[in-house]
Amino acid sequence: MNFQTYYSLTSLIERGRVAAETKTTVTFDLFDTLLIRRIHDPDLVKLPVARFVSALSKEYDCPVGWKKVEDLRDGIERTHRSKTGESFADHEACYPKYMLELLCEIFGESTGPKLLDRVTEYELFMENSMLVPRVELVNWLKELADAGKRIFIISDMYLPASHLKKLVAHAGILDLVEDVISSSDTFLAKASGEAYPLVAEKYDIAYKDWLHIGDNGFSDGMRAAEVGIESLIIHDPKEDQRKSLIQRYYNYSDGKPFWRGRVLQQLMAPHEGENVDQSPLYIEGYNFIGPMIGLFVQRIAELCIEKKLTKVFFLSREGWTFKRYWEQAMPALYPQGGLPEVEYLYVSRMALAGASCAYNGLTKTKADIAFLPSGNRDFRDVCRIFSLDSSRFEACLDRFGLTEETCLSHIHDGYDPENRMKFVAMLEDVAFQHEVKAQCKDSNLAMLRYFEDVGLFEHEDVAIVDIGWLGSIQRFLFEAIAHRDDKPTCHGYLFGATRGIPFNTSDKNSVEGIMYDRDKFDLAGSTLFYARDIFEEACRAPYPTLNGYKLKDDGYELVFRQTDDTIGKAELVQDSYFAPLQDGIYDSAKRFGAAAAMLNYSLADYRPWINAMLVNKLAFPKTEEIFRIRNQHHLDDFHGQKKPKAEFYKGFVPLWDRPQWQLRLSPLLRIRCFFRHLRERINE
Amino acid sequence: MKSALNSRFELTGYEMSRLIKISVFGKFVPIGNLRGGPGGRCLCVLSLLHYFGFWGYWLKAKHGHRLNFIKPMYRRIKR
Repeated sequence: MNFQTYYSLTSLIERGRVAAETKTTVTFDLFDTLLIRRIHDPDLVKLPVARFVSALSKEYDCPVGWKKVEDLRDGIERTHRSKTGESFADHEACYPKYMLELLCEIFGESTGPKLLDRVTEYELFMENSMLVPRVELVNWLKELADAGKRIFIISDMYLPASHLKKLVAHAGILDLVEDVISSSDTFLAKASGEAYPLVAEKYDIAYKDWLHIGDNGFSDGMRAAEVGIESLIIHDPKEDQRKSLIQRYYNYSDGKPFWRGRVLQQLMAPHEGENVDQSPLYIEGYNFIGPMIGLFVQRIAELCIEKKLTKVFFLSREGWTFKRYWEQAMPALYPQGGLPEVEYLYVSRMALAGASCAYNGLTKTKADIAFLPSGNRDFRDVCRIFSLDSSRFEACLDRFGLTEETCLSHIHDGYDPENRMKFVAMLEDVAFQHEVKAQCKDSNLAMLRYFEDVGLFEHEDVAIVDIGWLGSIQRFLFEAIAHRDDKPTCHGYLFGATRGIPFNTSDKNSVEGIMYDRDKFDLAGSTLFYARDIFEEACRAPYPTLNGYKLKDDGYELVFRQTDDTIGKAELVQDSYFAPLQDGIYDSAKRFGAAAAMLNYSLADYRPWINAMLVNKLAFPKTEEIFRIRNQHHLDDFHGQKKPKAEFYKGFVPLWDRPQWQLRLSPLLRIRCFFRHLRERINE
Repeated sequence: MKSALNSRFELTGYEMSRLIKISVFGKFVPIGNLRGGPGGRCLCVLSLLHYFGFWGYWLKAKHGHRLNFIKPMYRRIKR
């Protein structure tokens, strides 16, 4: 027999180069040779397509479950294959024909044909997202093309050549090949050996000038050899190992929920040319933060559909990354559409804090929020946060025996509880609140004009998505629009809700933590407390924060923070340091969408894996991981510059703030920190 | 510089060794809801595949036809 099996691509290509010297034509098998699949079983691609058809059937009022669609498809395909077997040696089927029959059966003779293109497009999209070109073979194919060899791709497949060409084009090799030949067009396949004479005749190729490369010893090896074609067969143990692993992860995930998240990550992992060496930060983005964001936005999409929310507002600046992830991942998960509109909303705590006081004034809760950061000490800090001119409150402060510098925070030197009482009393003063409202009126009006522009008031139910943690941006936002009759019902979704200050939940305004919510006891999720800042920094948009809304005669202006001062420059340094991490996040988005569509699990299914991942990465990180992901500069204008008294810094130092020598040498440090964390969570 | 998927097809940063450590730790200390965890047998099979899978499949690909006598033994062990 004139075929040889090789156990690595390198040795196959080495022999192929020698053999190709005397040949004019080289043909390649497509699947498992030029292109490999991320999944072990090609039939798994049919599942998301069945779900898509099922979703369409509901849209067209002829609901059919996806399992039924799958069974129907398999049945029709089987019938087509056996019919072909009556006239041909090969039992082949042609996708457009049997898919059309399936669609006609479900949707009727008039609607079915109209949907064929849409369904085919999604099937090819899913196929493309699961296929990866083998770099070494593609490079050799390019060499052969440069050397003037005639190159063909021959596949035994139910997709016709026109469809296969789309897959080959997506892999970037269509320009290098003379033609793509599929058995579904002629029903003459390599398996029976009848494809070879057909190709030889159609393209005028002599068998002795023909070299064939494939992975199947029978159809690519023996059948080719029978007609006198020299062929080389690849049987790569590395591929066997990879497929065996994904098969086991997939099978285990069925019975053990723990593996569902892992199989998702294994499916979205990069292969071949995608899996190049990257910076460690890129890998953290791809393997850790990217999938977390993916699951977060997937859950938001589910909630939006469930609660019939018509628009999602991603709040700046972390919303930038959430929205981008959503746009890349969701089309694969919801090919039938039905998702709400999405909008990126320019807001910030600083910008909204002032605007929120225009109608309700400065409430005690809002003042308490202002004194949460340790750097805020006195009335000047309150004025800075709420964009108030402190000099216009002198008379008021005098009346209550306070000054702008009177210490109002218990963690600063000079604090007297009496002064805080006086401050609270001042908050109830009508003249004080009148002045606050007067000063905040313009920014509120400018903000409302901006919100009208982005269509916030055109919807009855909207989702407000932010990273966390107290929900103060949503609190300020809702207070700023609460006086309007056309205000929408705001459903707030936070990546993590730590709820340091109770949120005033009402029918029109609610907030919920998706990955972690302190109101739902979740031990593993609470490890977000270890390093909240890294999620903020990793997701932050690449532009400065919003300082406020400025009223103009004919509209409004968004006022952004300057970038030329120390804080602004530090932020730029941090952004450039985290750029590879963000690249990793964005690169994971499309593959997340395809993998999640393939598996069809929801956040609850993935939760055990996320829990293990969070505990692993945040509570028991490697020292180098802490130093890699730990932010260099975390910038927060809400946080003042005042230094609390020395005792504030004493006591327990969080794991992620520890020096390197402690992280490396202190015995059982992570376990001690974890036990302390457990105690805090149980006692809170 | 490393790749996101290492040469043993493990996710960089979530190697099997790390997974085994955390699941063993989770047996003694509450670390959160893992809904039954990974399971000892699954961990064993996957670790073997990740660390020695290549050599196993290499042997099978190259000399599989000579190793047929192992199959009945394997079936007996599996039972």
